[in-house]
Order: sequence, then C-alpha cells, then structure tokens
Amino acid sequence: MSFDDKKHIRGQVLALKSFKKSRQLNCFSDCSTTVSLAFRRCGANMTLAKQTLELWRGTMKEVGGKFGTGVLSYFKFLKWLLMFNIFSFLVNFGFITIPQLIYHPTPDIPAGVSFKGLEILTGAGYFSHTVMYYGGYSNKTQGTGGRSEYNMQLAYFFTVAAYMVLCGAALIYSMASSFRKKYVLADSGLGGAWQLLCSWDFSVTNEKAVRQRKNNLRIQLKESLSEKVQVALLPLTERLKHYGVFLGTWLLSTGMALGCGASVYFLSSSGSLLEEAATLLLPFVVSLINLVVPLFYSLFKKIEHYSNPRMQVYAIIVRNVILKMSILGILCYYWMKDVANTFSCWESIVGQALYRLVIMDFLFIMLGSFFGEFLSNVIGTKCIQSLGVPEFDVARNVLDLIYAQTLAWIGIYFSPLLPVIQIIKFFILFYLKKVSLTQNCQPPRRAGRAAQMQTIFIAILFFPSFVGALSMVAYTVWTLPPSDKCGPFRGLNTTFSAIQIWMDDLNRVDAFQWTVWIYQHVIRSEIFYFLISLIILVFIYIFRQITQGRQLLITLLRQQIVNVSSGELSGLTCLVHQSCCVRSGCVYVMMLLKCWNNIFS
Amino acid sequence: MLHLQDCTFFTRKEILRLFDRYRDLAPQLVPLDYTDQPDVRLPYELIGSMPELKDNPFRQRIAEVFSEDGEGNMTLDDFLDMFSVLSEMAPRDLKAYYAFKIYDFNNDDFLCKSDLEKTLNKLTRNELTEDEVRMVCEKVIDEADLDNDGRLSLEDFQHMIVRAPDFLSTFHIRI
Repeated sequence: MSFDDKKHIRGQVLALKSFKKSRQLNCFSDCSTTVSLAFRRCGANMTLAKQTLELWRGTMKEVGGKFGTGVLSYFKFLKWLLMFNIFSFLVNFGFITIPQLIYHPTPDIPAGVSFKGLEILTGAGYFSHTVMYYGGYSNKTQGTGGRSEYNMQLAYFFTVAAYMVLCGAALIYSMASSFRKKYVLADSGLGGAWQLLCSWDFSVTNEKAVRQRKNNLRIQLKESLSEKVQVALLPLTERLKHYGVFLGTWLLSTGMALGCGASVYFLSSSGSLLEEAATLLLPFVVSLINLVVPLFYSLFKKIEHYSNPRMQVYAIIVRNVILKMSILGILCYYWMKDVANTFSCWESIVGQALYRLVIMDFLFIMLGSFFGEFLSNVIGTKCIQSLGVPEFDVARNVLDLIYAQTLAWIGIYFSPLLPVIQIIKFFILFYLKKVSLTQNCQPPRRAGRAAQMQTIFIAILFFPSFVGALSMVAYTVWTLPPSDKCGPFRGLNTTFSAIQIWMDDLNRVDAFQWTVWIYQHVIRSEIFYFLISLIILVFIYIFRQITQGRQLLITLLRQQIVNVSSGELSGLTCLVHQSCCVRSGCVYVMMLLKCWNNIFS
Repeated sequence: MLHLQDCTFFTRKEILRLFDRYRDLAPQLVPLDYTDQPDVRLPYELIGSMPELKDNPFRQRIAEVFSEDGEGNMTLDDFLDMFSVLSEMAPRDLKAYYAFKIYDFNNDDFLCKSDLEKTLNKLTRNELTEDEVRMVCEKVIDEADLDNDGRLSLEDFQHMIVRAPDFLSTFHIRI
C-alpha cells in the first residue's frame, strides 16, 4: 500500500469521525481514541529516551553491519551477562557491603600485612581481610538496639538467595521465550528454500563483506546440492568405519577432559601451594587447559565426517562444555571436601581461589585474542597465504563467556564483591573483542541458524552453568559448617540455621505466626514439594498431548491445501481414511466437517 | 509530522534524522520547508548511492517496490515508508509482504521459477552453472510450495517465513 493510500484512508477515517461528532455528542469513543493515541506517542517518547541511555548502541550497529547477525549475537550475549553482573554488584554492595562499611569503616588487618602489588593477581594477603571476601563480614546484629537493627546474617543469606532466584527466573524466562520463538517453529528440513529466500542479511553494508557473503552462499548452495546425493551412496562398511571413528573421538575427548580434571585435582591437593606467588600456578594450569585442549578438539574435525555440518558445531560445543564443567566440578569437589575441613577461614580461601581463576581467565582471553586472532591474521595474510584471514569463532567465544559467568555465580557466596572484577573484565573484553574483530577477522563462513545457536547458548548458560553454581552454593549453605573464626555465620552449625534461629525468634511474637506457619508447613515439609512436582508433571503431560495433536492437525491441513487446490474429491476420501487411523478422534471429526463444508458450500 | 509519526514506526527524532539524510542526497532539490507538501522526487541513482543500500544486491528492486511510480524515484513519504518497513519495529507480516514483492521481479504476485532464478543470480554473482541454478530453484519450489501449483504464492512465502526465525533480524536495514 503506498503512502498516499494510507493518507487517504486516514483522511477518510478522520472525516468520518468528525461527521459522527457533529451528529452525536458521543465523546467517549473520541476520548478513548485520543487517549490511546497519546499513550502510543508517550510510548514512542519513552523508547526514544531508552535509546539514548542504551549502552554501546552505535558500536553494535557497526559490528552488525560489517559482520552480520551471527557475530552480533556474541556481543549481545556479552551485554546481557554484563547486566546480570551489574545487578549483582548493586544488590550485594547495597545490602551487604554498605552496612558492613558503615559499622566497621576500617577493616581490622593484623599487624605486618601491608598492600603489595601482588594482591591484584592473587587476591590474597591484604585483600583477604577486607570486605572483598566472606571473611570480612561480621556476624553481629548491627545497630543500637531498638530502632535501627540490621541483622548481617539474614541480610547476607537473603541477598544471595534473592539474587540467585531472580537470575534463575530471568534465565528460565529468556530460555522459554527464545525456545518458543526460534526453535519450536523452525524446521530442520528447510535447507534450500531458507538459504535462498530468507538468509540474505540486508543489514550488511560493507562491499567486501557482501562479496564474501555471496561467495559463502554459493559454496553452501553447492554443498547442500551435493549433500543429498552423498548420503544415499554410503555402503555399510563405510558407515561402520564412520561410527568407529566417532566412538574413538568421543572416547578420546571425554578421556582428555577427565584426565585434565584428575590432574587439576592432584595439583590442587599437592599442598605446596600456600605461598602467595605459588597460588597462581593452579589457575594458570586451568586456563592453559581451557585454551589448549579445545584446539585439540578442533583437530578432530579433520578426521570425522558428519553428514550435517551443524552436528559438527554441536559436537564441538558439547565437548568444550564437558571439559570446562568437569574441571569446575573437580575444583568445587576439592573445595567442598578438602578445603572446608582443613583451613580455618575456608570461605575466604575459596573466594580467593575464585578471584585468581577469574583474573587468570581474563589474562588468557586477552592472550588468546592476541594469538588466536592477531597472529593468525598475520600468518594467514603474510606467511601462509592459503590459510586466509581467520574467522571469528562465535561458539568458542560464547563458551568462554559462559565459563567466566559460571565462576562469578559460584563466587557470589564466597566473595560478594567479585562482580566488580567481572564488570571491569566484561567492559574491557567488549572493546578488546571489537578491535580484534575489526582488525583481524572475517565473518564466519556458515551463515546460519544464529537464532538456534542463541537458544542453545542460553540453555547451556542455564543448565550446566547456573544450575551447577546454584547447587554448589545450596550445598554449602545447607550442609557445610561455616568457619568458626570469620564471616557472618561463625558459630552456627550450618548457614541455614540462621533462618531457623530467626524463625524461633519470630515464634515468640504473635503477629508473625503466619510466617512461622508458612516456614514449617510449606518450606520445610516434603509433602509440599512432592505435590508441586506431581502437579507440574501432570501439566507437562497434558501440554505435550495438546502439542502432538496440533502437529497431526497441521499435517492433515497441509494435505487439505493440496487437495483443495488441485480440486480432487478423492483426496477427501483419503483424508477420511487417514483420520480413521488416528488416535484422538474428535479433533479430526471437526476437521472433516470443516472440509465437507468447504467442498459443498 | 504527527501524521508521519503515526503512519510509520519511527519516533519524531528519527523522522527528523531521516529527513536530513533525504535532504543530504540532493540539497538543491529538497526544500527545508515541507508544510505545503511539495512534490519532490529523488531519482533512483541518488537513492541507490546511499551507503546503506549501495552494496545491497536488491537495491533496485527495493527502490522500485517502495516508490510510487514503480521506477525507483522516491518522494520523502516513500523514503520514510521504505526505512520504516525495513526497521526493527515493523511486524513480521509486513516485512514478509514486502520481501515477497521485492523477490517478485515480474510483478505477477507469484514467485515463479524465473523470479527465483533472478534472485539466485543476484545473490551468487552469476557464478553457478545453469544446471545448478535449475536444481536449486526446483528444490526451493519443492520445499516451499504448499498448494502444488509450481510457483510460490504469498501464503507459501509467509508460511516459510513463519518457520525462519532469523528473518526479522536479517530483513533489516539500520539507518
């Protein structure tokens, strides 16, 4: 519809409205239209205000224009994780650190410990007595009794719990909405049509980028044409050989991951790591493993032959996730079992270890950027021309981000100010990656499925990463005894006993009996959780049946389109035959009746 | 200004910015004052030379689809309309409708084989062989044609778009 048509229609509507107004004194519909129009304009003004405040908007536009939506999704993911950390910092600083600083403005540092430069790397020494770690917080109820009392124990517990719950809710929501929009509707069988008609990125504005995309599209189309021919032709022996190779590579990669985990465990429990500089060895080894072993995994690409190139990307992602999570799992196990029993202020020790891991991870990402992208570019363009300019590997970079965020989530309980380091790290990382990208890389060759990959990344962020961190913190809070000499929970059996004590206190006050009732009969009772799980399972079953019924309906309706357009009545009898074979009868009877009406009306 | 704000997806500031861009293309043709609605059309060559469009393989079709005269010469309203549909805020159905019109080279409201072949040639710089072009077009029609008439109607195209979640972000020009 051209613009003039739109103006014409609008003019007619306005004329009709003014005609009606002169005939009837009905100002209600007029009011409501004016009000809704005013709301729309107000909403537009608010979007305008939001846009001016939005972080990095111009940079992301530029990156999206030159490199496309796939690479842009990395930067959007980085910005989203940064928001989590900023929120965490605000919450922790506001509710935990500020009260501590108000009542104890100077940290009580034992004599003989002064600030040397090494603390920035190791996190130990001077920092271990400040509010950076769990040990720096007192367990007393602050305040002058009476009006302004501030219970540090409850504040610490509830701040951490509330942040984790909100994070979990945000992750579940974005995972569900991303899944609904991008995964459920997408069909894997739409190779050619999708590539030709929907995949061209109109926002790419650089001539070189456009030429590259055209080349990539041509290569992909050629591949997809030859793919279909290839799959049918493989004889049995070839396929057995392929499966053998798959089994071998998967066993090898899992074995390497477990081997690295075991070596990390032995290194950390070797006991010679208590001097300050030597504590850096463990994070160094962990980051080195995270950098080098994925390179080995990408070598497997040469041997394996997946029928679908997407399966290869998934295989790489799964292997990297197994590696990183097994290393983190071993470290957490070591901290829970050995460190908790050996050291006196063990939460601060764990906090320091996490701090070192975060810093070392940051240094290695910078180095990785330098070697992976800058040097590859130099080698590819000047020395070995056949390699070409390196691609920006979105999957590997996103997995690095997920690993960094897992460390931050584990560290929430042990080191409340760790989000500050994370925020600085992500800020610097954004600009570093942007510069490295523009100077050194070309867009990834496979234009595709950025939306599905986004869903997978959010799912990985939720399932091994967030759930793992949450279970570790939950295990610490529920079962491990807090250290005696430092921290807000000293002297208690478990951290959770602070809540029990508070509930006992509330029990004496009549006005809060309902809270105590909720605590005893809802939160602490097993029947409640059992019932909730049962109800959720029933709902899942019902929704699944509805989904299956709808899918069957879609197939039948599609067949109806073909039959109606080719005008065959015999198609109708075929439909009748099919619907008799289907399980749930009533939906299809309804559809039949609709068919009948269409043909005979 | 208000009616422009209501008929496009832009805010007031964005409309003013787009007007400045439009004017920059030909300052001597476009007056500053638009209250008496002058009839000014910028020729296709100027529109096609904009940095956002100059490397786009479909720039000519885009200009033709959004211009009133069908030749690519755009008034300010056409210009705003074009960038409004190609912006982030336009709904999927509207984008699908215009994408269909862009790919429909012979303007017969169907994507027949020749339309698909022309699209393919624009996207691959004429470097596929005749056989390959034919095979790809046949594959596309096989996959997307629901009512089996050998060509894609708007409904077939929309059905395909519904199952391509990336479409909203790829059919998007940032300005």
